[in-house]
Amino acid sequence: MRRRAAVASVIASAGVLIAGFQVGAAVTAGRTTTSSGTGTGSSGSTAGTGSTGSTSSGSTGSTGSTGATGSSAKDGTFKGTTVQTPFGPMQVAAVISGGKIADVKVLQRTDQGGRSVQISNQADPMLRSEVLQAQSANVSTIGGATYTSEGYLQSLQSALDQAGFTG
Amino acid sequence: MTIQNPTRPAVSPAGGSLSPRARFRRRSAISDLLVVIAWVSGPVAASLYLASGGLADVKDMGSFFTALGIVTGLIGTDFILLMLVLAARVPLIDRAVGHDRAIGLHRQLGKPALYLILAHAALLLIGYGMSSGFNPIAEIGPMLALPDMITAVVGTALLIAVVVTSLVAVRRKFPYEFWHVIHLLSYAAVLFALPHQLSIGGTLADGTVQRVYWIGLYVLAIGAIVIFRIAVPLFKSWAHDIRVQQVQWISPDVASIHLTGRDLRALGAGGGQFLIWRFWSAGTWWHSHPISLSALPTDRHARITVRVLGRGTRRLTAVKPGTRVSFAGPYGIFTDAARTSPKLAIVAAGIGITPARALLEGSQLARGEATVLVRSSTDDETFLWSEMRKLAEARGAELFAMVGPRARNSWMSQHDAARGVTLRSVFPDLDRSDLYVCGPQRWAEAVVADARAAGLPEHQIHLESFEL
Repeated sequence: MRRRAAVASVIASAGVLIAGFQVGAAVTAGRTTTSSGTGTGSSGSTAGTGSTGSTSSGSTGSTGSTGATGSSAKDGTFKGTTVQTPFGPMQVAAVISGGKIADVKVLQRTDQGGRSVQISNQADPMLRSEVLQAQSANVSTIGGATYTSEGYLQSLQSALDQAGFTG
Repeated sequence: MTIQNPTRPAVSPAGGSLSPRARFRRRSAISDLLVVIAWVSGPVAASLYLASGGLADVKDMGSFFTALGIVTGLIGTDFILLMLVLAARVPLIDRAVGHDRAIGLHRQLGKPALYLILAHAALLLIGYGMSSGFNPIAEIGPMLALPDMITAVVGTALLIAVVVTSLVAVRRKFPYEFWHVIHLLSYAAVLFALPHQLSIGGTLADGTVQRVYWIGLYVLAIGAIVIFRIAVPLFKSWAHDIRVQQVQWISPDVASIHLTGRDLRALGAGGGQFLIWRFWSAGTWWHSHPISLSALPTDRHARITVRVLGRGTRRLTAVKPGTRVSFAGPYGIFTDAARTSPKLAIVAAGIGITPARALLEGSQLARGEATVLVRSSTDDETFLWSEMRKLAEARGAELFAMVGPRARNSWMSQHDAARGVTLRSVFPDLDRSDLYVCGPQRWAEAVVADARAAGLPEHQIHLESFEL
């Protein structure tokens, strides 16, 4: 009888782990498509984002010459929406110049707990260089800074959408 | 009310009509299911992390250690919650595997759970350290600044205290009360650890299925403790209103405590079960004792029999008539309900006679179905034997007595060991019997070893040992 319980435990455990892995793979795939898509509706955002989303939608920066390079993106600085992460709000602005992402500026960074400030300080420049290189918000997150990365990239995507930047 | 017949109390209705074999199959199915649920809860905890897409974050050594740290934390906490459920004396668990096996698993899980929690802390420090290029020690400060980390650290410290004081070597050095008070802190440890699990990390983030499951586990574990360790015993103690009637010495160091109460038959105590008693007198209220019933309760009367082993039991035998008694239970499967085979064999020694006597009294037996062997080293130890003899006669059971000093490397008396008595010569139908062994731990284990050597399968051996 003990053997029966042991065998059942092993089989059930394997099943549970495989199921968990499958769900995880699906979740990860879903996450990637979301960040490369429209960039609206941050899944991690809480009730507070309703107001921040609307207030930060306005873009600063004058619209410059457009269409010079063939890209439909307007030049200027575009603020992304504020994304709530477990470690505080995250907001970036995209600087578009000549139809390209010229720079990413961090307006608000996760600041809850000393560790997250440290992570943020470290992850921000890494994300910036990845984004500039890829010319897209569709880059992989920084290990150990998942929340910061996701907040950063989501906010950036919304800024790029406002600029009409399609890459 | 019908007429009560004190020598033939009602047998517990549960499974009364089923054959021992069918009852055993049902019980072992439940027991196996519980075992599977218990072990699979560990992988489920790990799966919570996998299902949250955690593996996608593993990109280098640092994030690998971080992931491992999260998983060890989840499994370690799952084990601790499992330990709470095992210690909660849930009736379903007690009936399926017995209180002692549940507590045995509880004890086994203590150290692994602590190691997993310590590994959780260490691996996350290493993981964070590698990711940010600092050494792990430098991560301690920033990590403590995370939300709810202080309570988590306090919880871990309490957990260490609980496990260390429970190590056999350490536990012996302190009085029971000290261990008990420290052990109660494990509830605090579990609760202190909860906030950081919910506020840090993505696995149990707000709005996830994982969070609902995890909080469900907590509710289950804490709920089981509150209901079965606190609410039910309080209510039963109040409802049955048990008081000491008299203390009766039946040998130089053994006393029967007669108890009166309301509707005691409704306790549903099977012969061979024990309750955990607390006597509300000045010297005894702070200590509870697990003691077997030495007779099946009637409506108004119950009896327990104790041997004086130390100060605690000495005080117990000095309680005055009228003393209020609270209790938890009944517990244990040293009962008729655990039968698997057509015949019944009982071996009892010393104070082990108490549950053996109640077992015989509570069993529905055909003539010749049961055989009893009572054992003692001296004539002083033959308390309750006369009652046992009368019961055996009434139940059509055969009774053998074995008196005399113990032989070397045997559980038998020198005399009987020398003349070639064996388990099989006492119980010719051993293979078709359930063997119930009850007595001092060492001795009882020797009997069980003998039974195993004779080829008796595990499910036909029922052991209730008394630690001396």
